[in-house]
Amino acid sequence: MMTTTSAREEATVSVTGTRTAPVRPARPRRPDRRRAASSLPYLLVAPAVLALGLALGYPLVRQVLLSFQEFGLAQQFGQPPEWVGLANYEQLFTDAYLWRVTLRTIVFCLVNAAATMVLGVGLALVMRAMSTPVRLLAQTGLLLAWAMPVVASLTVWQWLFDTQYGVINYLLTALGGDFEGHGWLLRPLSFYFVATVVVVWMSVPFVAFTVYAALMQVPDELVEAAEIDGAGRAQRLRHVIVPSIRPVLMVVGLLQVIWDLRVFAQIYILQKAGGSATDTNLLGTYIYRLGIGGGDFGTSAAVAIFMLALTVVLTAPYVWSMIRQERTEA
Amino acid sequence: MVRIKKSLTGAAVAALALTTLAACGSDDDGGSSSADGGPETADIRVWLNGTDTPQEARDWLKETFEDQNPGSTLTIEQQEWDGLVEKLTTSLSSESETPDVVEIGNTQAPTFTSAGAFAPMTDMLGDLGGDDLLPGFVEGATVDGETYAVPYYAGSKYIFYRKDLLEKAGLEVPTTMDEFVDAAIALKEANPKPANFSGFWFPGQDWRNGATFVWDAGGDLATEEGGEWTPALSSPESITGLETAQRLFMEASGAPKDGNEADPWTPFCAGEVGMMSTPGWVKGLIEDPETGCPDTFAKQMGVFALPGSDGEPAPVLLGGSDIAIAAKSANQDLAEKAVALMLSDDYQTIMAEAGLTPAKDSLASLLGDDEYAAATIEAASNAKLTPAAPGWANVEGSRALEDLFSAIAQGGDVADLAAKADEQMSGQLNG
Repeated sequence: MMTTTSAREEATVSVTGTRTAPVRPARPRRPDRRRAASSLPYLLVAPAVLALGLALGYPLVRQVLLSFQEFGLAQQFGQPPEWVGLANYEQLFTDAYLWRVTLRTIVFCLVNAAATMVLGVGLALVMRAMSTPVRLLAQTGLLLAWAMPVVASLTVWQWLFDTQYGVINYLLTALGGDFEGHGWLLRPLSFYFVATVVVVWMSVPFVAFTVYAALMQVPDELVEAAEIDGAGRAQRLRHVIVPSIRPVLMVVGLLQVIWDLRVFAQIYILQKAGGSATDTNLLGTYIYRLGIGGGDFGTSAAVAIFMLALTVVLTAPYVWSMIRQERTEA
Repeated sequence: MVRIKKSLTGAAVAALALTTLAACGSDDDGGSSSADGGPETADIRVWLNGTDTPQEARDWLKETFEDQNPGSTLTIEQQEWDGLVEKLTTSLSSESETPDVVEIGNTQAPTFTSAGAFAPMTDMLGDLGGDDLLPGFVEGATVDGETYAVPYYAGSKYIFYRKDLLEKAGLEVPTTMDEFVDAAIALKEANPKPANFSGFWFPGQDWRNGATFVWDAGGDLATEEGGEWTPALSSPESITGLETAQRLFMEASGAPKDGNEADPWTPFCAGEVGMMSTPGWVKGLIEDPETGCPDTFAKQMGVFALPGSDGEPAPVLLGGSDIAIAAKSANQDLAEKAVALMLSDDYQTIMAEAGLTPAKDSLASLLGDDEYAAATIEAASNAKLTPAAPGWANVEGSRALEDLFSAIAQGGDVADLAAKADEQMSGQLNG
C-alpha cells in the first residue's frame, strides 16, 4: 500500500501535469526518506483501519462463527445456538446443487462482466467522437439509467417482459413473431437472458463514464504521433489508447466481476415475477433462500464464506497482476 | 502514468476489500423482550399485508386508537404478502426495527410462534372473544398451551365465473370435481381467442389452489406421526391430485405457466377468464371503477364454491390472517390495546362487510345472505389448513411449492417432481 510520501509525490505529479509523464524519461529517484523511522504514518492510518475493522471485521468474524453453528429461526429470537463444527460445510460440499449454483454464478458473472465492459468501453470511445450536444444527451441518458433505483427499474423491466401484457411480446408479435403469451422467465436460459439485459443495462453507465474520463487523460500528442507514424485506427486503439488506460480498465473490470458475482436484487425480483427459484438461483439468492427465506442461517453463512473465498480466488489474478505492475513500474 | 497506475492499484485493492467483505454479514442482536409493558405514549406501528384490509377499517382503527390513547399515535404500514416471511424474519428479531403489531398469514404463524417471535397472548384471549374466536386459527397459533396470535379474518377461495360464457358454451354450474374439470376445459375450447384465455385461470405458481386438488384426491402436503412431519406429495393419492392440477394447467388455463396469482381482477376484466378461484374480497376490486370493470364483465360475474369429487364443497385452503404482537416490541401494553380494537365488533363488522369472514363465529351473519355470502360459508365448511409443522413457513420461504406447481404447469413428470419436492421439504418441515 502507499505511504504518505508516495501520496505526496502523486499530488505533485498531478499538479505539474501527468500528460507529459509517459514520454519523459524516468525521473531520477529522490533519496528514500520513507524508511526513516516514524510512527506518524501509522497514526494517520489508524482511524481508517479501526473503522474498517469494526465495520467489516465484526460481521466477518460473526459470519465465520455462524457457519459453524446450527442457527435457525429460534436462535434468531434468542435461543442459544449449537456448535456443529464443519457439519454445515460437509452438508454443502456433498450437495451437487451447490456446485451447480456455483457454476451458474461464475458463468453468469463472466458473461455479464464481459458484455458490460465491451459495451461500456465501446460507448466511451463513441462518446469521444460525439459533438458536445449529442454527448451531453447521451451522458444524461446514461446517468439516468445509472441513478435509477434497482427496484423501481426492475418493476418497469418486469412489465416490459410480462408474459401477457408486456410491450416486448406485443412488439415482437406485431413484427410477425410468435410471441403471444411468451414466458420470458419460464426457461432458465431465457431467464438469464432477461437478467443479463437488466444487469448490463444498469452497469454500462459506470464503465462508460469511468473509461471516458480515462480517455480524456490520454495525451492527444501521443495519439497524433502514432497517427503520423502510420498507425491505423485499430492499431492506435490497441497499441496507444488501451495501454494508456489499462489501469482503469483493470480496476473497472475487477469491480464488474465482483459486482456481477454477488448480483442479488435483479435475480431475486425476477424470481418473484416468474421462473423457478431452484433452477435460477445464483449464489446470492441461494444464500438468501437458505437463510432469511428458509431459516437455516448456519448453512447459509457457510455458503457466504464459500462465496467470499470464490470471489478472492476469481479476482486474485487481477489483483496479483496489478501488484506486479506496481512493483515493476514503481 | 506510473503514478496514476499506482494510486489506482491502491484504490482497487481497497475497493476489493470493501466490496467483498460487504457481500457478507448478518445482524443478530440477541437480547430478550422488555419485561415491563413499555411507555405510556408511543407511536404504534401496525403492519397490514396487501390490500385485504379495507381503507375504512384502517381509518377507524387509527382514529379510535388515537382517541382512546391521547398522546399516542398509530401508523399502519402496508407490507406485501409476497416475501412476508423473509421480511418478518429480519425485522421481528431487531428491537429497533420491529413493528409492534403484525398481521401474518395463518399458515405462516406456526413457524414464528414456535421460534418465540411473538409475545404470548393467552391471558388476553378471554377478553378478545375466547371460544368465540375461530378455533382452527387459535389452535394453529398455540404452542405448548401458550397462544401467540389471534385470528384477524378468514376467507377461503371460491370460484368466480362468467355467467355469459358458461351459457354460451352450453354449460351448467358444475356440481362435482369431474364436472368442474370438464367445464374448465370445454370453456377454454369454446373460446380460442384470445390465446391466453383461461377456462380456469391457474397461474403456475399458485400452489394454494393446487393444494385443493391434492386434498380432494385424498392426498396431503405433509403428514405427522409422533411429532415428526413427513412430506406426502409422492403418495399415490397426492400424485392423482397433482395430475388433475396438471390437466387444468395444460388444457384449461391460459395464465402464465410461471406466473403468480396476484391481481386476478386484471385478466378477469380483460375478458380472459371463464372461471377463477380467488378470495371473496376480489369482488370489491372487480366492481371498483379504478381497478375493475363495473360496467362490463362485472355484470356477468357469478360465484360458487368449488365442488369436490363427492359433490360436497372441495377441501380448499383455509386462508386468512392472524394478528400478533412482536416479542421485541417495547410497547407491549399499547400494542395489546391496538389488537383489542382490531378484534372489536365494530372493526370486525367493517371487515365482514368487505366480504372477509370475521374473526368471531358470532359475527358470521354479518356477511349477509347473498350468493357471495353463501359461497363464502360453503367454501369454509370443508376448508383445510396447511400442515401445522414448525418449519412450514420455511417451506413457503424457499418457494419449493411454487417451483413444484410451476414445473407441473409446464408439463413436467408429476411423480419425479413430487419426489423432488418431498426431498426438499423433508429437511425443512421440522424446523
